[in-house]
Amino acid sequence: MTATNTRERVAAALEGLTFELVDTRDGMLTLRVPSATVRTVLERLHGRAGFEQNTLVTAVDRFPEEPRFDVIWQFLSYDHNDRVRVETRISGANPSVPTCTDLWSGASFSERECFDMFGIRFDGHPDLRRLLMPQGYTHFPLRKDFPHGGIEPDRLYREWDAKRRAEWGANA
Amino acid sequence: MTSHVFEYTRGGNNEPVPDSDDPVHGKPMLVNMGPQHPATHGVLRLVVELDGETMHSIDPDVGYLHRGKEKTCESLGWHKFFPHTDRLDYVQPLMNNCGYALACEKLAGITVPQRGQDVRVLLMELSRVMAHLIYIGTTSIDLGAVTIFFYAFRMREEIYTILDAYSGHRMNNTYVRIGGVYADVDDTVEALIEKFLAETPARIDEIEKLLSANRIWYDRNRGVGVLSVADCKRWSLSGPNMRGSGLAFDLRKAQPYSGYETYDFDIPVGTVGDAYDRYLVRMEEMRQSIRICRQAIERLKKTKGEDVLVEDRRYVLPPKGAVMSSMEELIAQFKIVSDLRLPKGEAYHAVESSKGELGFYLVSDGTSRPVRCHIRAPGLMNVQAIPVLAKGRLLSDMVAIIGGLDFVMGEVDR
Amino acid sequence: MGSLKPADSEGLGFLATRVDELINWGRKNSLWPMPLGLSCCGIELMAMIGPKFDLARFGAEAARFSPRQCDLLVVAGTLTWKMAEAVRVIYDQMPDPKWVIAMGVCSSSGGMYDSYAVVQGVDSILPVDVYVPGCPPRPDAVIDAIIKLQKKIERESPVRRLLKGPGVIDETGTGRNFKQPNFAFDHSSLDLHPHDPKAKIEELQK
Ligand code: SF4
Repeated sequence: MTATNTRERVAAALEGLTFELVDTRDGMLTLRVPSATVRTVLERLHGRAGFEQNTLVTAVDRFPEEPRFDVIWQFLSYDHNDRVRVETRISGANPSVPTCTDLWSGASFSERECFDMFGIRFDGHPDLRRLLMPQGYTHFPLRKDFPHGGIEPDRLYREWDAKRRAEWGANA
Repeated sequence: MTSHVFEYTRGGNNEPVPDSDDPVHGKPMLVNMGPQHPATHGVLRLVVELDGETMHSIDPDVGYLHRGKEKTCESLGWHKFFPHTDRLDYVQPLMNNCGYALACEKLAGITVPQRGQDVRVLLMELSRVMAHLIYIGTTSIDLGAVTIFFYAFRMREEIYTILDAYSGHRMNNTYVRIGGVYADVDDTVEALIEKFLAETPARIDEIEKLLSANRIWYDRNRGVGVLSVADCKRWSLSGPNMRGSGLAFDLRKAQPYSGYETYDFDIPVGTVGDAYDRYLVRMEEMRQSIRICRQAIERLKKTKGEDVLVEDRRYVLPPKGAVMSSMEELIAQFKIVSDLRLPKGEAYHAVESSKGELGFYLVSDGTSRPVRCHIRAPGLMNVQAIPVLAKGRLLSDMVAIIGGLDFVMGEVDR
Repeated sequence: MGSLKPADSEGLGFLATRVDELINWGRKNSLWPMPLGLSCCGIELMAMIGPKFDLARFGAEAARFSPRQCDLLVVAGTLTWKMAEAVRVIYDQMPDPKWVIAMGVCSSSGGMYDSYAVVQGVDSILPVDVYVPGCPPRPDAVIDAIIKLQKKIERESPVRRLLKGPGVIDETGTGRNFKQPNFAFDHSSLDLHPHDPKAKIEELQK
């Protein structure tokens, strides 16, 4: 899994597309691509460069910078035993990126989690719901402007509880 | 890459027969399993659509144990997050510790001294045994073999005793630090570990003797939840689930860390990829872990007295004794605990945990506040695969499927 | 049974005691725990039932996963707001009398998770009898909690409760005071005093 081999293979697969190599502390091949071409890049990585497995889909909130979110994908190739990371920067207003669940089915939960935590929409995801927080929750916890202690963490429970008490009162 | 291939014969077709003359056939029914259900191994909720007894669609609902770990890391800082990593996959606390520490070390660009690495390998392999014991104990109790639970917990208690002597607590030990481990193994612990290593293979055999040819265990696991290698790749599965399908891919061999490349061990693989294969793979992995532990203990005997923590006062805690006697070390300790600054950049490190690839993706901007700490939980991927495996099977197979995939909700929900 | 006395000296095999004590003796020695293993503490709970600590010595090993069969709820682990509804339903489904042990700092107070998703102590949603600190508490500590709970049960007056509605012990203001589907008695008279029912109870006892 020499880094040069991976770089050449990926460069060949991404022929004709613009990308920028990012310097990382772990030495993994990291591509920064414009958000307009990210879907094509993912398709090529899947089809031509042989990255068979999606390791993670997540985001980094750079608040208060604008554009605000870095969306990160990371892939693993079993045949070549190497990894690649793809990053793109998108704006904070109505953030969305194309989905990759049709290429890697396993990205589904990761995308749902990313939507749940950052409010980033994955266009074309077949079932984009909240994953970890309850369905009625209205905030996005991993955004930097969300306090650690939460905003009305118990609202949904209290609503449910009030309703339940009211029902018992009526039936008694 | 040497690897074990299990050969065993199977007979009969175990596919469920659709109950077409059943009066409820064709009338779908929604069944809610969990979040408090004895067979879901924690607080997992499954909404199952049944036709008769056949499952048509399954919607796993996770998040009942979402504790906000990633946010916690961002607000606490790099060092203070350590105790929280224990509680990710709480059946193997030290494995998570090591994974997080390795990712931080990649970010900081430091290497752990040899003895520290050996201690870590020892702890990680003990953790793997612990985790697989929980798998075998809880799954067997769900499938009706209660004795195994007691056998597994007897073995776990022995590991608890070791860790108790070692770190002062039974589980959630928080024993690993950036740059090594907190303190060295002493003779008492060594003796305990050696006793454990000597006794355990026979006990694993004992469990296998009770289960492998057990009619109920065999019938309920054979042919249930079959995964091909391509499925595993597509659904992001890794670890024993992947190896059960026959691909000998182990991060310890493929992308070694902590000096695993210098240890001698085999990767067991299955042939069919059903729950029974995964069970066999896990049992053999325990034996291989014991083998690695033996080698680690031998090495530790040779390097007695050497450092287990690297000396680097930017990132690494000074030894406790020095903190008590020297002002500079006290200041260093205070700075590291309250205001550890890892260099700007990003790093990903994955370890082969008992559930699969456990990865930590860390982003730092050079200040003491982490920008991002993403935990790539293998368990979440395993939960994601439940609908794939369970579709078209009988409801009673769900228990075997959940047990065979093996996940821990602390890590799934984070 | 504290004040067990032979009824006559002829040795005919009769024993006399207070009904209260007889009931308490039965209750305290046959607790049926509902092991609500939510997270890490659940593993220690399993270890407690396991061979080394053997909860059977205290008559509390009959763990049942159906709340309808249990009278001791052991909340072992971190309770999140998403899970809170389920836990409250489980608690409501348990038949009276019922007791709660909050095992571990997470369920006692929120513990190390001061975050947006975690309930800061199960006592925000249901009354707790014994809190066990520790992260996780050692099984010895939980066994001690069970012994403490047994002592507490010893002091209860089940007959008075049976005759006059709930006693003082449960009136913690966390929601035991209103009508629940499982309640055998009508507590509506206590509803007026959710936080200070003592006056009402004294009045009832006259
Ligand atoms: S108290 Fe500690 S061990 Fe128990 S659930 Fe909470 S974090 Fe886990």
